[in-house]
Amino acid sequence: MSVYLVKRLLLALPVLLGVSLVVFTMIRLIPGDPALLMAGQAATAEVVQEIRHSLGLDRPLVVQYGIFLGNAVRGNLGRSLFNSAPVTEELAQRFPRTVRLALASMVVALLIGIPAGIVSATRHLSWADSLLMILALAGVSMPVFWLGLNLILIFAVRLQWLPAIGHETWRHLILPAITLGTASAALIARMTRSAMLEVLRQDYVRTARAKGVAEPAVVRRHALRNALIPVVTVVGLQLGTLLSGAVLTETVFAWPGVGRLLVDAVLARDYPVIQGAVLLIATTFVLLNVVVDLLYALLDPRIRYE
Amino acid sequence: MQTRLVALFAAAVVATVLVAPSFAQQSGGTLIIGRGADAVTLSFYASAAPDSETMAHVVETLFKLTPDGKIEPLLAESHRLSPDGRQLTIRLRRGIRFHDGTPLDAAAVKWNLDYFRNPENRVTFRFLLSEITSVDVVDVNTVRITTGRPFVPLLAHLTHDFVGIHSPAAVERAGGMRPPQGMPYGAAPVGTGPYRFREWVRGDRIVLDRNPDYWGPNKPVIDQIVWRVIPDDGARVLALEGGQIHVAVRVPPRETSRLALNRAVRVDRTSSLRTIYIGFNNQRRPFTDVRVRQAFNYAVDKRAIVQTILGGAARVSDAPIAPGIVGYAPIMSYPRDLARARQLLAEAGFPQGLNVTLHHPTGRYVQDAAVAAAVQAQLREAGINARLVTMEWATYLQVTNRPVDQTDIEMFMLGWGTVTGDADYGLYSLFHSSQWAPGGSGRFFYKNERVDGLLDQARAITDPARRAATYKQAMELIMQDAPWLFLHSESQITGLRREVTGLLVHPTERVLAMNARFSR
Repeated sequence: MSVYLVKRLLLALPVLLGVSLVVFTMIRLIPGDPALLMAGQAATAEVVQEIRHSLGLDRPLVVQYGIFLGNAVRGNLGRSLFNSAPVTEELAQRFPRTVRLALASMVVALLIGIPAGIVSATRHLSWADSLLMILALAGVSMPVFWLGLNLILIFAVRLQWLPAIGHETWRHLILPAITLGTASAALIARMTRSAMLEVLRQDYVRTARAKGVAEPAVVRRHALRNALIPVVTVVGLQLGTLLSGAVLTETVFAWPGVGRLLVDAVLARDYPVIQGAVLLIATTFVLLNVVVDLLYALLDPRIRYE
Repeated sequence: MQTRLVALFAAAVVATVLVAPSFAQQSGGTLIIGRGADAVTLSFYASAAPDSETMAHVVETLFKLTPDGKIEPLLAESHRLSPDGRQLTIRLRRGIRFHDGTPLDAAAVKWNLDYFRNPENRVTFRFLLSEITSVDVVDVNTVRITTGRPFVPLLAHLTHDFVGIHSPAAVERAGGMRPPQGMPYGAAPVGTGPYRFREWVRGDRIVLDRNPDYWGPNKPVIDQIVWRVIPDDGARVLALEGGQIHVAVRVPPRETSRLALNRAVRVDRTSSLRTIYIGFNNQRRPFTDVRVRQAFNYAVDKRAIVQTILGGAARVSDAPIAPGIVGYAPIMSYPRDLARARQLLAEAGFPQGLNVTLHHPTGRYVQDAAVAAAVQAQLREAGINARLVTMEWATYLQVTNRPVDQTDIEMFMLGWGTVTGDADYGLYSLFHSSQWAPGGSGRFFYKNERVDGLLDQARAITDPARRAATYKQAMELIMQDAPWLFLHSESQITGLRREVTGLLVHPTERVLAMNARFSR
């Protein structure tokens, strides 16, 4: 098991190296010059050139990448071109906020998604099933900013129950978590439903029923546990997506997390911040995948990692 | 009746408990302003409007620009210009101290101006003071600024927020100002202003505290000013309606009719010194022909754009600069005249009309993309087929900044804010042929030797009336030459809670809260 874990983590290194190379080249290939943005419309060419020089942007790309990589392995992701703040500090400040939002959204998603999926599967083809699946479809297709703004309109402006923006207390968490969790809830509901339907058709479930086990116990003890394996994969990947910033939600609710940092950095062509944020997100994805694999073994004793 | 009272009471309790933190108000209270973007740095290396707005509360300038365009002394008490126009002697107000307790004196001012104009420090807006050759301490409260030649806009340039006077001691304590070493200073500036810097949570908020020892006659009342970053326009307006913020900066025109129905808020429209234009590439066919440029101007109904797309929150340009700028005079605007436009095009050799490309940004100016689309539709009626190319700001800035022999831009939309309130900044930087891109801001490559001459002259004319007459002459030539498709000057739409008074939305696009208060 631990050998497997070490192997998986070592495999992550080339992945992250690839990600860093792709991001590094891509952001420099798209037009938009940070020095020009910084200098503003009124600046002379010399000033722009001076800024470019002071930021080291006039060096060959290979040299810039070498410096970046050398610093990165020592845990230094550079400084923001615009406010000179160390990227690691900026990420350390913002990542916990995004984690908080992502976890809360996941709780919302699971609380809605799994029960809805179970109900839908056990009452297959009933009106409840159809209704839930229509809602799931709506949940997946609803634009995040539209839902977010409407929640603010209802709960913050009309009813004045919850704050519209900010991230200070748990009450600030409710609206963004519902907004962000809705799409995931819908996806998890659909996943749970199909996995449950699959399992409920299996022989061992029929055996359990034949032995006279009560239906709720059949669902809970025999079906659900096995149905959860594919669901865990979806949940893991969803969590990755949520953690990768949930850009729109963070924008609508003025939630200063990694997603907004990344968007602002892209708009400002703040290369070190973009690189740092993308690397952080990639790392999170890789780690989540490992965790998902380990969870498989926990849920299904037949799966062993050697 | 009784149940209704109980219900009301319960609702009030719930509302108070839930909304209390943002409304907790002792004495002066906390004023929360929501704006779309965070500041970048609050030192000489600042470059954006949010930087300028926050700095204006903390760091004061020698002179200030009033909303109606007058230059008044601020840290300066009086000033005298030598007869040859090259020496500006400034007497400072006595007894002013920086927030760190050190005195504001001639030496401190010299330190600041020298730092700013020193090329080694690479200050972005150094060009504002580049005409200065020396700054000398005359006595403890007097400094003398010498320029190589008479430079009348100097006073206006000294009103620029980025040329504020910082505490030299604080800068040195922080290890300098220049990024990246000087970054701690840029995140906690020390000046003489009515508010002191308290904290800055990047991407989230900047908090300032009232300066109880403020020297000025208008003592600040509000205890604390908080800027919150709320990037989404809709969410910012909703936060205002929900009472979480007191002021919403840059309200989109489409939201104003709904806000007008809300009795808790009011909408403020203030003119701005920013002019929006569509530049022609004056060195590229067909725009080398003045008849073509004029035809475009006749083809577009600017009034309709202002009324419909901008909800009336703008003013049709009648000069290359906006009212409120020293040197502005109403010259003319091209009325919509399709027959005239077609006739001019035919005379220029395009009886069948022509095809052009119009580049424009999105999300940078109020309704920019919608304005471009309207221009496109109106040009079509004059037989002009414009293809729109939409770009995000960073890309756009670069694409429109190429030298004349490398650019393939035909027409592009841009805005220019004359933030010093002086015509020199709005005309010289754009229309003087020495200012062509990429070295300067003349991205439309205009050249008229008579205009060049007039703009050079005006820089050195000390008599205001003669100076204004010279600018008027230059602007008349520019309007005739039509190097731009003249559009409009923007208004700033600001949403405020009713109880906020004394807030100043300055034409230089800054919301100034130093004289704000809550009234009941």
